[in-house]
Amino acid sequence: MKICTILKQVPDAEASIRTSGDRVDLSGVTFVMDGMDEYGVEEAIRLREGGAQVEIVALALGPKRFEDAIRTSLAIGADRAVHIETDETYDAISQARILAEAVKKEGAELVFVGGKEADWDSAALGPALAEVLGWPHVDWTTKLALSGAAVEATHDTDSGTETVKVALPAVITTQQGLNEPRYPTLPNIMKAKRKELRKAQPADYGAATALTRLTGEAIQVKTRLNKLFSGDAVESATALVNALRNEAKVL
Amino acid sequence: MNFDLTPEQKEIQRLARQFATEQILPRAAEWDRNETYPAEMVQAAADLGLLNIGIPEEYGGLGLGMLEEALIGEELGYACMGFDTIILASDLAVVPLKLAGTDEQKKRFFPGLVKGLGAFCLSEADNGSDAAAMKTKAEFVGDEIVVNGTKMWITNGGVCSTYVVLCRTEHAQGHLGTVCVVVPGDAPGVSHNKLHGKMGQRCSYTAEVIFENVRVPKSNMLGGIGDGFKIAMKTLDRTRITVAAGSLGVARRALDESVKYARTRHAFGAPISNLQAIQFKLADMKMGLDTSRLQTHYAAWLVDNDRPHAQASAIAKCRASDVAFSAAAEAIQVHGGYGYMNDFPVEKLLRDVKLNQIYEGTNEIQRVVVARSLLR
Ligand SMILES: Cc1cc2nc3c(=O)[nH]c(=O)nc-3n(C[C@H](O)[C@H](O)[C@H](O)COP(=O)(O)OP(=O)(O)OC[C@H]3O[C@@H](n4cnc5c(N)ncnc54)[C@H](O)[C@@H]3O)c2cc1C
Repeated sequence: MKICTILKQVPDAEASIRTSGDRVDLSGVTFVMDGMDEYGVEEAIRLREGGAQVEIVALALGPKRFEDAIRTSLAIGADRAVHIETDETYDAISQARILAEAVKKEGAELVFVGGKEADWDSAALGPALAEVLGWPHVDWTTKLALSGAAVEATHDTDSGTETVKVALPAVITTQQGLNEPRYPTLPNIMKAKRKELRKAQPADYGAATALTRLTGEAIQVKTRLNKLFSGDAVESATALVNALRNEAKVL
Repeated sequence: MNFDLTPEQKEIQRLARQFATEQILPRAAEWDRNETYPAEMVQAAADLGLLNIGIPEEYGGLGLGMLEEALIGEELGYACMGFDTIILASDLAVVPLKLAGTDEQKKRFFPGLVKGLGAFCLSEADNGSDAAAMKTKAEFVGDEIVVNGTKMWITNGGVCSTYVVLCRTEHAQGHLGTVCVVVPGDAPGVSHNKLHGKMGQRCSYTAEVIFENVRVPKSNMLGGIGDGFKIAMKTLDRTRITVAAGSLGVARRALDESVKYARTRHAFGAPISNLQAIQFKLADMKMGLDTSRLQTHYAAWLVDNDRPHAQASAIAKCRASDVAFSAAAEAIQVHGGYGYMNDFPVEKLLRDVKLNQIYEGTNEIQRVVVARSLLR
């Protein structure tokens, strides 16, 4: 069975992000593989270690710098990688259209997608990809097992968790709790050098045109009111409750 | 000229950084307080392949170079200079084998060093800088070498799989009679006393190692009679680059902690980072860090490309450790009173990095090396 793990590269969580004009300025920022995507790579490796015959293909759509994240996935244990290189900013739907073509061309039966991207916080790609492929999908998966031509997956719902069984092919989105991603080892980093990292272009996969165009980016800045309440405990608590109820409107 | 790391080097750096910040950094203060030798984490580092990375591939290693070693060293030094020393001082046993070992010796000794620590026994209680004055004796008896003597300040002594021991024979005086002998860690007659009360790098295991009628086959001698001192010096010409690398880590940590603190600490109604007196300290740390990193990577590149490197590595070690020492001292100053307390990580940086100016040749000796090469 072929497994595609979709991955992207995002600014390191420690990075301080600035804007320059109406765009986010990422110069000088350290990038890493999106942590959510690491769960997908790790889960694919665990399926193999559990005895399944699998080929793990890392699949990424993005600029040249994504290569670093792709190499990380090869060092952790993906067998080969396809990098659809582009500087275009695609919305989730157009990304899904391109990636769906790539998934079909690879003949994959199981696709892992990070539950939510760490940079723009969107959780749309997984479901959109399943929609384009016409496959079932399980969101926010915390537990997964292969059973014949199906997978049994436990995932979060608003009120708790539920366990479902879906027939393959399927799309699984990952999240914290699914597994504990391993470190790559130095020997595996060196072995990854010999693994295939194939370059492709969006045009190779029908080149969906972006549905939305980015016209400006801004960073939310939180400012403090620096309000101090004086008086004894009862007075200041009353003032605080009033402020929370009437000004902040959170109570 | 190209300043880019290769994709593999970037991955190695990333792995070392992740391991160091997730596994080492959070535990370092406790190891320091209790003088704990972190055996499990040393094992974890070895399992990830971070140990003795210079062992050639044909002998079961990764065959990586000094630059990769420097990348790892900086990341480990950032998290804990003591842990860095455990891992990188092990290289001191690998390099002599690489430089002077025969194929047969490499086949015999490298496999044990792929996952096991090495220790390099040069210094003695009465001689450190003047290493050629060593007293530990090697006698040739039949097909064996019998080693007698006591080595002092031995990093990994007592917790290693392999010792490389510098000794003297009766053949000649000074460095002419010296030999370099490989002694298995479990050889009968080897014992050690752990040294307690170090100022810093307290998680690294430092010991007095005693050799009492230790018998090893003659074929454990690296090079010939009279080569010992030369092998030791050539080894240090390389390995002190790792001391420079660890120093970079300490300096970078001092800078990061200082920037973080200066932004949040307020005095006179504004963050202290608004004060030029503080800004200049940060700027000086950054200048020292970046310039010594260039020198360190340059020295490593010279080694990896088989160029003469003794002077460059002496400059790197001396400069980087001096820079790191003053960065650590300034970091305490930026932190004010809190910097003096062990609730904050900066006082440990100073205690730890003091050693970088002393071991693998004091910084005075580095200056002697550089001056000598100028006046030759
Ligand atoms: C924690 C720790 C770990 C160590 N690990 C190891 C190890 O693994 N293996 C090992 O072999 N050794 C190790 N050492 C020993 C270390 O390398 C020596 O301490 C160092 O080389 C200095 O030698 P010394 O202590 O005998 O000082 P000395 O040589 O007595 O020097 C005393 C002072 O005189 C100065 N001085 C001496 N000669 C000259 C000169 N010609 N010109 C100018 N100044 C001079 C020195 O710079 C120093 O300031 C370790 C030491 C420590 C503290």
